[in-house]
This record gives sequence, structure tokens and C-alpha cells, in this order.
Amino acid sequence: MIGRDGIAALVVFAASAALFAATLGLPDSPFVPIGPGFYPRIVLGITASLALALFVSDIAVHRRGRVVQQPERRNYRRVALFFVTFGVYVAALPLLGFRIATFLFVAGAQVVLDPPRDRRRWLVLLVIALVTAGLTYFVFERYLSVLLPRGRWTAF
Amino acid sequence: MFDLLAAGIADVAQVKYLLPLLLGTLVGVIGGALPGVTITMTIIVVLPFTFGLDALQGLAAMVGVYVGGETGGLITAILLGIPGTPSAIATTFDGHPMAQRGEPRRAIWLGVWASCFGGLLGGLFLIATTEPLARFALRFGPWEFFSLFILALSMVAGLVEASLLKGLLAGALGLVVTVLGNDPILGTPRLTLGLSVLEGGVPFLPVLIGVFAFAQIMTDVEKMGSAAAAATELRTIAGRAVSQLKVIAEILSRPFLLLWSSAIGVLIGVLPAVGGSAANMIAYDQAKKFSKRPQEFGSGIPEGIIASESSNNANVAGSLVTIMAFGIPGDAVTAVMLGALTIHGIQSGPLFISQNPQLAYGIFAAYLLAHPIMLIIIALGMRWMMRVVTVPQAALFPVVLVLCVIGAFALNNTMSNVYILAAFGVLGYAMAKCAFPLAPFILGAILGDQIEINLVRALMTNDDAWLFFTRPISGALLALAVVSIVAALWQHQRFVRRAAATSDGKADF
Repeated sequence: MIGRDGIAALVVFAASAALFAATLGLPDSPFVPIGPGFYPRIVLGITASLALALFVSDIAVHRRGRVVQQPERRNYRRVALFFVTFGVYVAALPLLGFRIATFLFVAGAQVVLDPPRDRRRWLVLLVIALVTAGLTYFVFERYLSVLLPRGRWTAF
Repeated sequence: MFDLLAAGIADVAQVKYLLPLLLGTLVGVIGGALPGVTITMTIIVVLPFTFGLDALQGLAAMVGVYVGGETGGLITAILLGIPGTPSAIATTFDGHPMAQRGEPRRAIWLGVWASCFGGLLGGLFLIATTEPLARFALRFGPWEFFSLFILALSMVAGLVEASLLKGLLAGALGLVVTVLGNDPILGTPRLTLGLSVLEGGVPFLPVLIGVFAFAQIMTDVEKMGSAAAAATELRTIAGRAVSQLKVIAEILSRPFLLLWSSAIGVLIGVLPAVGGSAANMIAYDQAKKFSKRPQEFGSGIPEGIIASESSNNANVAGSLVTIMAFGIPGDAVTAVMLGALTIHGIQSGPLFISQNPQLAYGIFAAYLLAHPIMLIIIALGMRWMMRVVTVPQAALFPVVLVLCVIGAFALNNTMSNVYILAAFGVLGYAMAKCAFPLAPFILGAILGDQIEINLVRALMTNDDAWLFFTRPISGALLALAVVSIVAALWQHQRFVRRAAATSDGKADF
């Protein structure tokens, strides 16, 4: 049986092996004694070897039955939803612009993390979202000369 | 040196520098005090605000965050029994019992003054050693720098007690990040995977922000709610007023403890990417070993608080030495500071002090001034801060992520950095779930380019690879790297035995 470490090791091994193969097509450089593929090959070779060692070690640990179970129950559904909310925010930034996307993200993320149960909580949630979007935009654009994304769809 | 330091203090005492330092320290204290918000996360949040400032203003703010954060962590550690930052873990062992005994103010002020003394003792080390170490590093050629960076990586990976293999693999993965995109010598495109985002390489700041912010926030999201109950407990804590002079006398009557704990903090800080979390635990352990009453540790005695807090603030000075003398970030916080220097076009490393004396001594001055500022902030804002630490995480986390996005976007006003942030956020969380240490990964991502550049430069100068081993300093550094790995293997075996004993119920802390 493979544990979490073993799966992670396999993923890393596969990725580093694929990248290693991709370095074989890199041309040598006439200006330096070692080409652009030399160092990546060393790094990826070491990474793949370490991943393989971790995989073997994980198998050995499982054979010996030295597996520590995680005692706490965790809310992975909420984590997944929060990731999705952030992903949608990143995708929406260039389309809706910083102000609208940030307002929607901060409001939506609060709903995901701790859904409001009464009207007052909803009001607080909306105020936090509005203030975050407005204040960050004001401070960064006005005082710190940081241009924040404008929306292609909204021009805002 | 003292002329430059006096000039630095005069510079930083101007309102234009004092204000960012003050605000940085305030934000640091609050960030450190908030459960679930680390100093790294706080400095990441502050980073975008420094873009519009000059280099010293920005760095003064960051030094303030660092010093304030190390101290702020003790407030929640003492009042709630939840360390505000990992560097205040050992403070909970005696600080919280003392608070529960009805002396929360004494516990807090013992911690605050110990932080201040420890930090200032560390400051002496910082000022005295950075320049000589930088001068020594000027003798380094590409062979020595290559070996130094290898040593730094091996030490960081090796200091991960739980799994040496995972530490090494995390460091190697960090190096992989730097081989994506163009090669750093000639700019030849390589391993871009057909993605335009990778064509210019992967900038390390969005990687650092993504990995640390998401690993921390998402891990907290999994178990949200536990801090709320503790916050209720906080509101019931009042405690008697304490005499500051008595507290100072309590600390200064234990000079060996203060000096030894501060020395541990500084030395741990000099080691790359180890940080205050290790410093406070080691200092606490040492204080217990040297104590005439070790059995009383954990029951709320001042020694436990003094050891932990003086070491974690002295640790800041050690980290600053490493970045200013060698250009190697001592931990994630100084890694962000390194990024801020790069944004301002300043190269850290051995030439940093000689080329930027005003900035270097300005940083020293900011570090020294941050301590009295931190004392004033805590004295004036203690009651208010007790309320701040109860801010709901559901409101805090989205705001932190918005500031992370701004920090990544504002680096060069492109969405590609935000995409990198998001991608490495997922990777950071995955690494946290698989218990891969983040520090070696980040150090690998920061040093990877420099390792390659120095390797190529060395081989361009002389294609004899044996020079890495036969040049005295380079050879010694590589030998130390091997020793650190061997020591880590021994330490790992000890850790496994100890963990096994603990699970059998035989060991106690």
C-alpha cells in the first residue's frame, strides 16, 4: 500500500523525469562550456532520485506498519470551496476589474468561510467587502502609484 | 562605524522614515498577536505598501514588522495559550499558566522587556559582525559562493527533524522552480512547457507569497472556529497592574539566562531559514537544563518567558546578519526583504554595506529604534490589542489574500504573477498537507539562479571541477555541507527514537 508520501513522491518523480527528458533537446551553447541543459539535468536528476528514495521509504514504512493516523477531523470541503472562490477571483480580475472582482471575492469568501445567519451579519459582510475593495484601490492607486487591473468587460 | 550608525539613527529619526517604522512595528505587533497570522504573512501583506516608498522607508517598515511581530506573538501566547506566531510557542509553556494564575500583565511585560533586551543584545551582534563578515565574503569567488549556497541549502534541509529526505526533496523542488524559463547566463529559453507565463522565468516573490500564504491560510481554514472559544476566554482576563521597574529587575537579575538565550537566538538566526520557531524552543530547553529548578518549568515561572522571548527577538538580528553579509535570507521574512531590495534595484550580498552604507546603517538604526517603539506601542495599545486578536478569520483571510494578489500583481503590473501566485498557492497547500517543509523549498527557489550562475562562472574561468573541493574556503564549505547532512541523519534518528518513546507514553517535555 502507498501512503500520502508515496503518492507525492511518484508525482514529483514523474514530473522531474518528464522535465529531464525535455532538457535533452536543449542545444549546447558555443559561448559557455556547459549548455543551458547542464544544470537543469543535475537538479532534475537529484530531484528524481530523492523522490524515488522517498517512495521506497514510504513503502518500507507501510510494510513495517509505522503509519501515524491523523486524529483530527478537518473541513476539506470548505478548503476546496475557498480555493474555487479564489480561482474565480483570479479569473475575474482581468474581466471585471479590481474593484468589482475584489468586492465579489471578499463577500463570497466570507459566505464560504462563515455563512451569515442574520441580517446584521450580512450587512457587516457587505461593508467589509465594500471597504476592502474601495480602501485598497484608493490607497494603492492614489498614494502608492500601483495601477490595479481594469476590467475588459467593464472598463472599471 | 559609529559615525555611520549615528548618521543612520539621525536619518531614521526623521518623520519620513520614523512613520513607516512606527506603522510597520504596529502592524507587526498586531499581525504577530493574531492567531493564525504569522510574521511572514504580515510582511507579505505589508510588501505592496512599500512599493511606492524609497528603499530605506520600505525596509524600515519591514524591520518594524519583523521586530513587532516577534513580540506581538507573545500576547496571544500568554492570554489565550495559542502562540500568535510559531516563534512564541515556548512562551505559552510558562506565560499562559502565569496569566491563568491571575498575573497576565506581569507575564506580558516580562515577555515584552525580555524581547526588548534580547533584541538589543542581538543588535550589538548585528552591528559588530555584519561588516567584518561581509569583508570576509569579498574574498569569495564563484567556487566559494556556489559552495556557500550548497551549504545553506543542506543546512536548511537537514534541520528538518521529522524527515531529512523530505527536507532535501523540498530544497530540490525549489531549485526546479529556477530552471523553468530562461537560463540565467545567456537567456536561452528552456523548459517553458509552452506557457507564455514561464517565458521570463518564475519570479520568487509570487512563489514565496503563494506558498506561505496559502499553506498557512488553508490549514487554518480546515480547522476554523477553535480560536473563537479562546477569544471568549480572553475577554474575562483582567489582571493586576505591574511595576515596570520590578519586571525589569526580574529580568536583569538573571543575566546569564538573558545572555545565553539571546546568544542562542542570534546563532539560530544566522543559520539560513531556521528562524525564531526553533530559537525559542532551543532557548527554553537550554534554560530548563541550566536551571536549578527544572521541575518548575511549565508552571508559570519567569525564566521560561524570558528565555523564549529574548531568543526570538535576538533571532531577528541573526537573520539580518546573514542577508546583509552574504545575501542569503535567514528566513521567509528576510526573503521578502530581499525581494523588496531587488524591487529597488539593490543587490544584497558582500558588497551591500560598502555600496549602500547609508541604507545598511539605516537598517541597523531602524532595528535598534524598533524596540523602544514596540515598547511604546504595547504600553499604549495593550487594551485595544486584546480586542484586535479576536478579529474573525472569515473576514481576515479574504482581505489578506487580496493584499497578496496586489503584492504579486504590482511587481510588474501583469496578471502572470497572480497566476503564478495561485499555482504556487495550490502547491504550497499540497506541500503542507504532505508535511513537506516550506523553508528549504523557498531557499531553493531563491538561491537556484545564483547556484547556477556561480557554477557556470566557475567553469568558464577554469574548467577544472576539482577546484570546488581544492580551494580552501570552497572545500571547507562543501565539507561543512556534508557534515550538516551527516549530523542531520544522526539528529533524525534521535528524533525518530524520541517520537517512538513519546507515542509509548514514556517521554515528557
